[in-house]
Amino acid sequence: MSDTATMAGVSAPEQLTFSFVKRPGLLKITIVSFLLTLITLGFYRFWARTQVRKHIWSSVHINGEPLEYTGTGMELFKGFLVVFFVLILPIAVVTGFVGILYGPESPLLITIQFAVILAIYVLWGFAVYKAWNYKLSRTQWRGIRGALVGPAMTYSLLFFGSLMAKGMSLGWATPVMNTVLQEQITNDMRFGDAAFKFKGRAGPLYPTYALCWFLTLGAIILVTVLASVSAASSPLFSEAFGNQPQNAEQIAGMLIIAAIILFLVFLLLVPMLWAVYTATQMRVFADYTRFDGAPFRLEATTGSIIGLTVVNLLILIFTLGIGWPYINRRIVRYVVERLHLDGKIEIDRISQSKVPLPTRGEGLFDAFDVGGL
Amino acid sequence: MAVAATFFDGETAHDRPVTVERISNELQFSGENTPLTRWSIAGLHPIDPPSPGQPFRLTHDSQKGSRLILRDDAFINDLIASNRALRGGYSFRHLGQVLGWTVGGLAVAVALGWFAMSFLPQQLAHLLPDSWRNRVGEQVISSLVEKARKCETSAATGAWSAMIAKLAEGNSSLPPISVSVYDVPIMNAFAAPGGRIVFTKELLRQAETPDEVVGVLAHEIGHVAHLHPEAQMVRLAGLQILISAISNGGSGEWAGNIAALAAIFRYSRDAEREADEYARSTMAAASIDPMGLKHFFEKVLKLEKGKPDSTQTPSATKPTALEKIGDVFSTHPGTEQRIKDIQPLPTDHVPAKVLSEEQWKALKAVCG
Ligand SMILES: [Zn+2]
Repeated sequence: MSDTATMAGVSAPEQLTFSFVKRPGLLKITIVSFLLTLITLGFYRFWARTQVRKHIWSSVHINGEPLEYTGTGMELFKGFLVVFFVLILPIAVVTGFVGILYGPESPLLITIQFAVILAIYVLWGFAVYKAWNYKLSRTQWRGIRGALVGPAMTYSLLFFGSLMAKGMSLGWATPVMNTVLQEQITNDMRFGDAAFKFKGRAGPLYPTYALCWFLTLGAIILVTVLASVSAASSPLFSEAFGNQPQNAEQIAGMLIIAAIILFLVFLLLVPMLWAVYTATQMRVFADYTRFDGAPFRLEATTGSIIGLTVVNLLILIFTLGIGWPYINRRIVRYVVERLHLDGKIEIDRISQSKVPLPTRGEGLFDAFDVGGL
Repeated sequence: MAVAATFFDGETAHDRPVTVERISNELQFSGENTPLTRWSIAGLHPIDPPSPGQPFRLTHDSQKGSRLILRDDAFINDLIASNRALRGGYSFRHLGQVLGWTVGGLAVAVALGWFAMSFLPQQLAHLLPDSWRNRVGEQVISSLVEKARKCETSAATGAWSAMIAKLAEGNSSLPPISVSVYDVPIMNAFAAPGGRIVFTKELLRQAETPDEVVGVLAHEIGHVAHLHPEAQMVRLAGLQILISAISNGGSGEWAGNIAALAAIFRYSRDAEREADEYARSTMAAASIDPMGLKHFFEKVLKLEKGKPDSTQTPSATKPTALEKIGDVFSTHPGTEQRIKDIQPLPTDHVPAKVLSEEQWKALKAVCG
């Protein structure tokens, strides 16, 4: 073959554009999944999850070529079986026998239960990492698959450490720990032989975090003060209106209703407040991430995140959970429609990943009921 | 008809333009950097179900990592028409498989469950070390009698020893047992693991003769000898473990659950028959009049029938664990037959006197 022929095979670097192309058929998948999951006492869920992923993945297009999900329900089921027989059943047998032999309040049983809870926290990061590894390894674009190349244990220990640090610092370690975790997993991420890189400091996250933290603290203090004032003032009112007990009762009743409304508003406002931080973190993390040298950019805004979350919550409530495939699709769509890769990639040079494929999927993740995508 | 298509070989992300042609039952394609490749139509698999206006993506059994992307609608429709499997999505075969596995899985689960609930516990019960049996027995009794007072006088203890000694005359291999009485206003007697037999104050109050008490005692010793309580505990523990495994985590409410489960899973009819058989032969060999036990069972049956149906008239107080578990009170179908099976002593046997008047009085008065 001549030089020109080989040259013709490799095209120039390209700009990558992400788009979400809605496909019909999700309703059918949702209904069939629900019915079969019901009939099989829940065991169809592994195949249902696979069908939904195949559908959603195929709606994500990069430069006109869709993503492809190559996982199978059987792989997820095998992952579940391994976790059930290696972890869940032995724990149940041990706690069961100790409970019967030494009673429900025995120190030995409490120690074992404490150890189990500790183990769950340690394994949580492991589960998260393994689940990402499985999903990436089953995601293909142009016939090339993704991978996580690191040992899961490093991430797992970091994850456990981050839980401790966040708790002990009353949350103040959150931006640092999230950045460290994101750096760890992103730097392990590959598409074929092309790498993702994450580089950046947690500093820019702190102003937003501090704002959200102090506003939350203020809201907690406000609600506590108002609640105790209304509780303390009702006897005062009954004294003041001693000769008109009906009036006193009315005012006390109104105060209680006001306190309840205030509490509900508090419950709604605080998560909305934290959407400010979530949006900032998503934007900053995208800025810190590069693929094959090109930087990402994510147009996440507080308003759009609140909108996404509220509608997803409504779908969850009004479909009694059956509509979860739509929720997953909305989350993927949200990210895909706002994600940009600035810079050009030599796509044709990317070759297949050499990392061995994991043979089972996400058993632990399923056991911890983290759910999600 | 040859159309343009794109080919990915699964080795690099390079998109290779190819021309595809359908020749009888094969797809043949080639391009500048792609040698002539022949894929049988029977071996084709759709990546996603075809949707109008969208590229149709295919792979083949012979090259699972590679992808062929068709864009020509007429060509796609023609191809799909020739092989229904290319439509992808759900099919009756898929549905049939799911139902087949479900029915098969349920059948296996039921078979395993039956094995685990009927055969296995009795075998495992023989393997339990004595220290376990004793500890479990303590747990079971304390969860069943709750906070009831334990009644104990040395005269009553003497009476129990006398009854056991009498029964031992008929059966030299009586298992080691210990009997205790609790101040509970419910008529019952049961055997717990480790040879612990519990009588209630109410049962002693209802008993008219020592023969009735010794008959019930012999029946309970029958359960002990056959390790029925141990087998029942293994059964309940297995069930509890299964429940907590399915619900993804252990629960601490063991004792409470055991009592609740015990109420649902009483001894089988076979177990009661074995205990009755044991009581009959032991009493006959010891020359104890079995009519006492018979009389007692009749009394229990009458009391049970006379009581208003508790399922229809909700009682004001929640039934206690002891009320629900029942051994003496386990009047499942067949009690009449059990009563009939108790035959009087042969005429040449003189009924033995089980307790002296003083011992009987001391026993009746054990709870004051
Ligand atoms: Zn019995």
